[in-house]
Amino acid sequence: MFAETKTSKRPSRVVIQRPPAPTESPVASYALGGPAQFLIIIVQFALLVILIERWQLENQLLTRVMWLAFAGFIIHHLLPHRFRLAFFALLSLTAVLTGVGHAGPNVWIGWLSGRMTFNGFLYHLLPGLTLIGIGFALIGLCHLPIRFAARVGLVVVAGAGLTLARANPHWFPDVSDMWVILGSMFMFRLVVYLYDLKHGTAPFSASRAISYFFLLPNVCFPLFPVVDYKTFCSTYYNEDWPRIYQTGLKWMFRGVFQLLLYRVVYQFAPLDVYKLSSALDVAGCMLGMYLLYLRISGTFHLIVGLLHMFGFNLPETHHFYLLATSFTDFWRRINIYWKDFVMKLFFYPTHFKLRKMGTLWALSLATLATFLATWVLHSWQWFWIRGKPLFNGKDFSFWMILGVLVLVTAIYETTRTRKRTLAPSRLTLRQRLMMGFKAAGIFAAMCVLWSYWSCQSWAEFEALLDAASRPTARELMIVFGALLLVCVCAMVWGWSSRETSEGRGTQASRSPFHFWRSAGTVTIGALCLLTAPSITTRAIPEFKTVVARLHGDVLNARDMDQQRRGYYEELDVGRTDNWQWHNAEEPEGWSKGKMAFFRERSDFLLRDIIPSISTVLGGAPCASNSLGMRDREYSRTKPANTYRIVLLGASNDMGFGVKNDQTYENLVEDALNSRVADPRYSRYEILNLAVAADSILQRVLRLEEEGFALQPDAAILSVTAVDEQFVASHLRKALIQGVEPSPGYRQIIESVVRRAGVNGKMPAVMIERRLQPYYVELCKWSFQRFAQQCAQHGVHPLIIYRPAPADFSGQESAGRTKMIELARAAGLKVVDLSAAFDSVTDRSSLILAKWDDHTAALGHRLLGDELYKQLVPVLFTSGDQRQASDLLKP
Amino acid sequence: MNAQDIITPTKTFILNEYLPGEDPAGLTDTTPLMTTGILDSIAVLKLVTFLEKQFGITIEPHEAVVENLNTLSDMAGLVMSKKPSSPTAG
Repeated sequence: MFAETKTSKRPSRVVIQRPPAPTESPVASYALGGPAQFLIIIVQFALLVILIERWQLENQLLTRVMWLAFAGFIIHHLLPHRFRLAFFALLSLTAVLTGVGHAGPNVWIGWLSGRMTFNGFLYHLLPGLTLIGIGFALIGLCHLPIRFAARVGLVVVAGAGLTLARANPHWFPDVSDMWVILGSMFMFRLVVYLYDLKHGTAPFSASRAISYFFLLPNVCFPLFPVVDYKTFCSTYYNEDWPRIYQTGLKWMFRGVFQLLLYRVVYQFAPLDVYKLSSALDVAGCMLGMYLLYLRISGTFHLIVGLLHMFGFNLPETHHFYLLATSFTDFWRRINIYWKDFVMKLFFYPTHFKLRKMGTLWALSLATLATFLATWVLHSWQWFWIRGKPLFNGKDFSFWMILGVLVLVTAIYETTRTRKRTLAPSRLTLRQRLMMGFKAAGIFAAMCVLWSYWSCQSWAEFEALLDAASRPTARELMIVFGALLLVCVCAMVWGWSSRETSEGRGTQASRSPFHFWRSAGTVTIGALCLLTAPSITTRAIPEFKTVVARLHGDVLNARDMDQQRRGYYEELDVGRTDNWQWHNAEEPEGWSKGKMAFFRERSDFLLRDIIPSISTVLGGAPCASNSLGMRDREYSRTKPANTYRIVLLGASNDMGFGVKNDQTYENLVEDALNSRVADPRYSRYEILNLAVAADSILQRVLRLEEEGFALQPDAAILSVTAVDEQFVASHLRKALIQGVEPSPGYRQIIESVVRRAGVNGKMPAVMIERRLQPYYVELCKWSFQRFAQQCAQHGVHPLIIYRPAPADFSGQESAGRTKMIELARAAGLKVVDLSAAFDSVTDRSSLILAKWDDHTAALGHRLLGDELYKQLVPVLFTSGDQRQASDLLKP
Repeated sequence: MNAQDIITPTKTFILNEYLPGEDPAGLTDTTPLMTTGILDSIAVLKLVTFLEKQFGITIEPHEAVVENLNTLSDMAGLVMSKKPSSPTAG
């Protein structure tokens, strides 16, 4: 079945490009033919791998695969040419086997040292073995000795079965890890492979097929370039190895650089539509959304560069796409692999079928069919990544708008032939200027279009435009200045004659290759990126936070906010950007229990906890008591000789993601009870009235409506630096649902709503953005109300400032100062728990998971210790001095 | 029909359509056209229509590729492979 075949059938003339057979030579001729070049290539490759490891780019698996590739590269290069492809295939299978089931070094060492049973070890290999087995079966179907149509039919049936299994990962829970990578490897490449098999456009063999489908870096990347099989075969060692390897290293370095740039954009660009306040913010947001695509561009560079190290001289990806001079040029440059794939499979076949209708009609319909296919396939790709398709109007309209723009440009280019010359001609200044202006125009248009695509809804995009509706002259000047910069860059670097992945210049027509110059640039660049963090932080200590945020794959402020909003408001997790898959890591059912745990209310409190219910929240068991609190059982009437405190707060105070006895308030309660020394109180109780997503208004109202009835001696209002967002979502929900504010709250709410000019019929994001200037006023009012209500009921009021477990968004400092000042201005005593986490160096250890920044059990323990330490002197001062000193005894 | 019978009209078509004003001597049988960007995907579609009409052949979508259309020589090879072989003179 897998004998070397040119083609099973030869329907028409095709040219089969066999890779030029390099002279078979012994090891010495490869290594010693250019030992210095080989050595510097090894040095650069090692530097790049270290760079990826140091910056923790993408995921841990990438580092492992990069080290595997590094070792494999040296062996591969030293092998005689005839063994290389088979070796690459073997290396790729090793990566799949060890990568998909997370069978890393620890698993191997565990098994070899006898700490892990053979069955346990096999279990780690199971997903990889399953993937390889399914892959072999699919390749086998393509080569069955039956009619081609029958083979296609069998592949379709197998594909349908696999699709069904992907949609139901619980059917095969032991191998659920492999679906994403299986899809990434086969969903498109299988179609290309069958197409080339049918037309016999490339040679086929077992090692080629295995190498093609199980491509080494694929195991780390769900989004992978659709490598064309014919190009894959025809570019294999089609040039001298130093040029191929060095080009690969250059692109890998470019990829690493772009991935770091992506992190800068992701962490620091004003991407949160809810928080935009000026036209300049909007421009920054649009630019940021567009530049988030650097992640894909970076990973594609890394992938294609790595494949070069094994002789696959594949075409350059994302060639200066930010400097495209027309929509067709943009389409040609951005993802040439995808463009070639849809051209081959959809555009040409459709055009050839329709050409009797005339060139323009055929061109128009073929272009629209191509973009329609792109939309469907994009959803198909999303299905394999997320387990559910991404069919929505916004996605459809984005692809159709882009399709129409490309079509209009293509028709324009067809009717007004562009200037072509045989000899490369120098561009005149006028031509360069025109190129620059066009590039600036396309850049601006793509920023807008990309923002539309990246916004979660039309309403969000509308709010984005609303925020930019009154630009100042200064803001306009800055935006035009930025576009001028694009214009200048395009004048210098914007020229491109690239057309297809196959359309690379011949060796003679391509620019001369300067090996040592390129090697020097990559080496120095890699060394700079390796040493920059330590040098910068030593010189400017303030940069420590910046560098920390760029290290590792942490969510930015917007995604943390969205993650909170997504959790609280039951929004679809698919809200993440089209090119991001952070939430793909969130295990299914992580916050599913919220449906069972909370219930909606028709008053201004909006919701509360269902009494006496048990569920799982954030991976931890969570139970409510008969009074509807996430807490232990308490009687409604305060028992005699009991000091009772009520706690008002949000999800972290409620203890989202930790067990009942791990919440900081229960830990403090236990500490108080275990050290009681005052005969007046035989018991201390802290009743947890915190409800996830409660705004400060709701917390105070909850005290009035529920808390005072519990006869507390003290009321603790917990606040944080990011409480504004809860005020925003609370008022927005109340407005949209038409809920009237409670009597005591009506005046302030109506006043704010009137001044902000918002109503319940507006898009949610617009309401929140317009209410933004009034959050401080509402917080201030809430503190005053809290103080006044406590005084009226004879309850000791207390504010605790609770720090975020990890301040990834850098909001903590400013937010803390503001909240504490507001509380103190209302005459309230503030217990600042900011020091609770001071002893923790790695703050990410205090959050539940990478996708969930709620406080983990360790964080609750530290908060409990700090609160206990500060609470005792505050609550038991003056007459209670003796008791306080007793309580503080260890 | 020999290669030159195909190359001559095709060369004229390309010069008129895409390279007006260029020196015909500059366009040789082996001048790369697709890999240098002179012929882009839309230009290729026009060229295919021309070749089909001019020489009475049918070109399939998978044949509109760089291997078959990069140079005048490649184009001649493609057309000749589709024409029934004519008896040799003499």
